[in-house]
Amino acid sequence: MDPLSIFRLFVVIAAAVAAVFLGVGLSTRRQREYSPASGLRTAFFFSLSGILVTFLGVTLPRMPYPSDGEIPDRVIHVVGKQFAFAISENPIETDAQWEEIASFAPPVEIPAGRLIEFRVTSFDVNHGFSLYAPSGRLVAQTQAMPGYLNRLRVRLDEPGRYTILCLEFCGSAHHRMRGVIFVR
Amino acid sequence: MITDRALPASGWEVDRQRWERLTALWMIVMLALFPILLGLGAFMRIVQSHLLPTLLPEWFYAVMTLHGLGMVGTWFVGGMAAVSYIVARYVRPRPVISHIAFWATLLGVVLLLVTTLLGKFGVGWYFLYPLPFYPAGVWPTWATWTFLLALAVLGVGWTIWAVDLLYAIAQRYSLRVALGWPYIRSGTGPEIPPALPIVTVSLISALSGFLAAVIILVLSVLEWAGTGFSNDALLMKNLIFFFGHVLVNITMYLGVVLVYELLPHYAQRPWKMSRLVAIAWNTVLFLVLFAYAHHLYMDFVQPQWLQVLGQVSSYFISVPAAVVTIFSTLVLVFGAPMQWTLSSLLLYLGVMGWAIGGVAAVIDSTIAVNVRFHNTLWVPAHFHTYYLMGVVLMLLGFAAHFGREASKQPENGRLAKVIVTLLVIGGYGFLMMFYLGGAQSVPRRYAVYPDEVQQGVTYAQVSLAFIALLTTGVLLYLWETGRRYWHALRAST
Repeated sequence: MDPLSIFRLFVVIAAAVAAVFLGVGLSTRRQREYSPASGLRTAFFFSLSGILVTFLGVTLPRMPYPSDGEIPDRVIHVVGKQFAFAISENPIETDAQWEEIASFAPPVEIPAGRLIEFRVTSFDVNHGFSLYAPSGRLVAQTQAMPGYLNRLRVRLDEPGRYTILCLEFCGSAHHRMRGVIFVR
Repeated sequence: MITDRALPASGWEVDRQRWERLTALWMIVMLALFPILLGLGAFMRIVQSHLLPTLLPEWFYAVMTLHGLGMVGTWFVGGMAAVSYIVARYVRPRPVISHIAFWATLLGVVLLLVTTLLGKFGVGWYFLYPLPFYPAGVWPTWATWTFLLALAVLGVGWTIWAVDLLYAIAQRYSLRVALGWPYIRSGTGPEIPPALPIVTVSLISALSGFLAAVIILVLSVLEWAGTGFSNDALLMKNLIFFFGHVLVNITMYLGVVLVYELLPHYAQRPWKMSRLVAIAWNTVLFLVLFAYAHHLYMDFVQPQWLQVLGQVSSYFISVPAAVVTIFSTLVLVFGAPMQWTLSSLLLYLGVMGWAIGGVAAVIDSTIAVNVRFHNTLWVPAHFHTYYLMGVVLMLLGFAAHFGREASKQPENGRLAKVIVTLLVIGGYGFLMMFYLGGAQSVPRRYAVYPDEVQQGVTYAQVSLAFIALLTTGVLLYLWETGRRYWHALRAST
């Protein structure tokens, strides 16, 4: 779902709500008999409920969570720690490994269009592992949580440099916490 | 104010002056803190505009923490104080408890000022475990302890406040009646103010949130006291977001109580208790327990049924709000002999802000959408919409109403329109920059925007113009309302 399209949809709905409030506000210039408008309320209830149920039906199948039936083409291990990400094709289990990979390892390269599983965790506080495409769009994210492994599965179709930013506030250099991968 | 259902004169009149003085005190504190906290928010947008390049980021995050905690706390206590004043017409809460809550709040504020401004404690308003224990060399140990102490003091003060109000309601009506259950069963019941189920639902929800906060505090202290005990990050995250979400939600509902009580006065039409009102608010009481789960959508290890429940609850909690409160507000005002004053305009626009913020919140509570919006500027966009343009306007509406009643001073109608215009243009313009930033993936809680999201700098810069308009509106409001409080104070002495 394109965020800019969602933004436009929101602006249209918000403008409609504002127009209704303005119209009702202006209606007080000419007084009318009070009516509880119960018929209209019932119609509003069913319309709103119907819209919400429809959106549930459309969006719930698109949840980003991994399903057991899929087998990823590649597995990438990610560990967050104040204030860097260590990213590797091999498991990262100790602070020393993390230090080595975060400081000296070359960026991981992954093939375009293949199903990649990022296994994301943290060695200290909560971090947010997010993938920004070369175009600057946020394409996927999951949390890096101490003691847990989040599995993010994604196909990255656009080749180029993907920036990883931290999207969970993690301390004084949160805005500098980043990483990079290349999609070829 | 509505008087027909109020306590007999011997009840309300005896305590009237005491409650008025106490409410004035709370409102003055609320109105004094608001521009300061607004200034802190403006400071953050100035930093994000890259206009203060030499500022250390830890100051940004300490200010962010103070701004968030301060705003959440200020509007919660403002809402509780306003609702206490209204509820005191029907039941007998004890003013002494409100006094205790007042001093606990002041002490808590002082401790928060110390920990953030002296200790540079910068963890965000939600102090996500285990960040308070990982200072990265920025804040000292005492700052964390002071923060936990501040939470404990505020928690104790606010809990006994909520318990006392709930006890007073139960004594006069019983909780069953106060929740409107007779109306649900038979469509009729003992006459109660329609705001009463909202107050009761809010207080019960508040206590569930405070219970979560107590568990967080105990677990934190146990771990940090060196007992060898270690907390589970996912459990702590659930507890923290349950507490935070409930606190913010019920603050909104406390604002809605003011709309139920005051808007009929200006519309000169009744807002009656009905089966629909009772069903709506009892549904909210149930759904509010699960809606918090939308904060954890990006924690993929969270059980999937809880994620789905989070989206379903977040969607359907909007139905009773929209169909009952927002729809009823529109019906109440439509063609009414409305007295448009500063107070009624703010209350009415507050409901509109709640509706618009609610739309943005429902969008973000969609799991498939949240993956693009989670922790981007869309999040502060939607919660600032229903806070700043929702509950804040409702509470400013109450404070204006209270000041006018107390001072009996006539209102400057032209100034009221100027104030409202500035608040609306400044407020929604400021919010639009957040929404645009969120739609373009700009992260929230960044002191400095990296190259990949440089558009965030532009949006922050443009937002400063709207913040200037908003601030002018707030200062004019404070002038207009403040002089009423001054007159009332002089008259009473």
